[in-house]
Amino acid sequence: MVTKSAKAHRIAVISGKGGVGKTVITANMAAALSARGRRILVVDADLGLANMDILLGVDPPFTMQDVFEGRRPLEDIVLRTKKGFDLLPAGSGLPMWASLTTALTENVTSILASLDCRYDALLFDAGAGVGDVVLYFAGLADEILLVATPEPTSMMDAYATIKIIHQLDKRNEFLLVVNQADPAQSARIGRMVAKHLQGVMSEFLDAGAGEIPVKLELVGAIPQDPAIPESIRQRKLLCEIHPQAPSTQLMNELAGFLNTRMSAAPVGVS
Amino acid sequence: MSKKNSEKDNALDLTAALRILQNAGIEDPRMLSEDSDGRIQFIINALCDLSIHDGLTGLVNATFFHAVLEREIHRSLRTGRTCALMVIDIDHFKHINDTYGHAEGDRVLQAVADQLRANLRNMDTAARIGGEEFAVILPECSPQDAVQAAKRIHLSLNPLTTTTDQHAIRLTTSVGLVWTDPSIPAKSSSLLSEADQEMYRAKRNGRGRLCYKHADPTIVSRRERSALMAMEVEEGPHGH
Repeated sequence: MVTKSAKAHRIAVISGKGGVGKTVITANMAAALSARGRRILVVDADLGLANMDILLGVDPPFTMQDVFEGRRPLEDIVLRTKKGFDLLPAGSGLPMWASLTTALTENVTSILASLDCRYDALLFDAGAGVGDVVLYFAGLADEILLVATPEPTSMMDAYATIKIIHQLDKRNEFLLVVNQADPAQSARIGRMVAKHLQGVMSEFLDAGAGEIPVKLELVGAIPQDPAIPESIRQRKLLCEIHPQAPSTQLMNELAGFLNTRMSAAPVGVS
Repeated sequence: MSKKNSEKDNALDLTAALRILQNAGIEDPRMLSEDSDGRIQFIINALCDLSIHDGLTGLVNATFFHAVLEREIHRSLRTGRTCALMVIDIDHFKHINDTYGHAEGDRVLQAVADQLRANLRNMDTAARIGGEEFAVILPECSPQDAVQAAKRIHLSLNPLTTTTDQHAIRLTTSVGLVWTDPSIPAKSSSLLSEADQEMYRAKRNGRGRLCYKHADPTIVSRRERSALMAMEVEEGPHGH
């Protein structure tokens, strides 16, 4: 466990393409990290169309937007879930808080500064696309965990997302989770997708001598698993209804991997 | 700032200069004209120069910078052309001051100012707006040109080495870049705050970096698309 004064490790889960499993992976990963004794806060960073609460089967009375607009203090917003981790919920259908403004960034910065010391890790469940808000949360994160499926459209969007974040933040390290892989050969498919993306990244994103190569690290490949859609329908986590399912095991492995990366030292700004 | 631009701005600020003279005890500056022709203008120009410039670096000061930024934002709205703003902060400047002394710190500030002057157009305005913080206004500059200009300046400052008889100081700077949306009225304070946020993002991402709010408009080129799809065909994940 990190000390009280340390800054939480921030992980942004992003994908470019929607519907590839970001929210499911974030929630299950959060539960698996909590089970390992980590204090985890999931931040629903999809400010325009938040739905982490739906997936978790909770109905938050207030959201981040209530804090932004001064109606509620932050303490009223953070929701203690029964899954072992906390949730910072966001509202849905609130377009004025779905675009990046100075008011939004000031509010988010202030909220995260208050919460940083209370947790070991903050997981940002970002929205789809590469809009300003997604890129803003990516910029706040220590790690970018990219979720992609083996479909060409997802790979294209994943690559575009990597390229944009590399350009904007000069970030050179990305983590990759391949989701919805063929269960018969999920590990192989994961390696293949990572290799494809890494090949194009090396060809087009590496600027040459003196530059740090852009690196994509495969963290895991999650197979298509009927347990996943079932868990979504039941608004429960995989570990709650199918603790022995292959996808549950892989979520645990993913959490184990991230657990080892969460010893990062606090980073100040001067 | 160019000489031409400087003269124009001085002319705009004559009233303020007269006020400075009066505050200095010269109640009626016209009296001075009896001594020698052009003396008033000389004094006014000198006072204007002092009032808008930073004495150490020769760049414009924060007060004048804000006035120029306000004016350029209005111009951007009127002309429909974007105005870009860069904020540049020297990394670990306190450490430089503490380690090498304030005289060396001053030389570092002057070296950064020299690089800014060397890499700007005549119409651009470079300012020292805080201790180790600089800003550059790039009027009538497209986002693409602003990114190019920012990359050029960033490159000239990272790293920058200043040398004296005793020391060689290698420094880096973090740079934030934003630009106006000419269709939306903006406050100069908001634009500066956005540029600051980008600069702090550059700090968070390891310092010595350039961050800008918007991505390159040409995200994925045709060649990249072809490469991605070609690999999919040759050894796609579903193949064996």
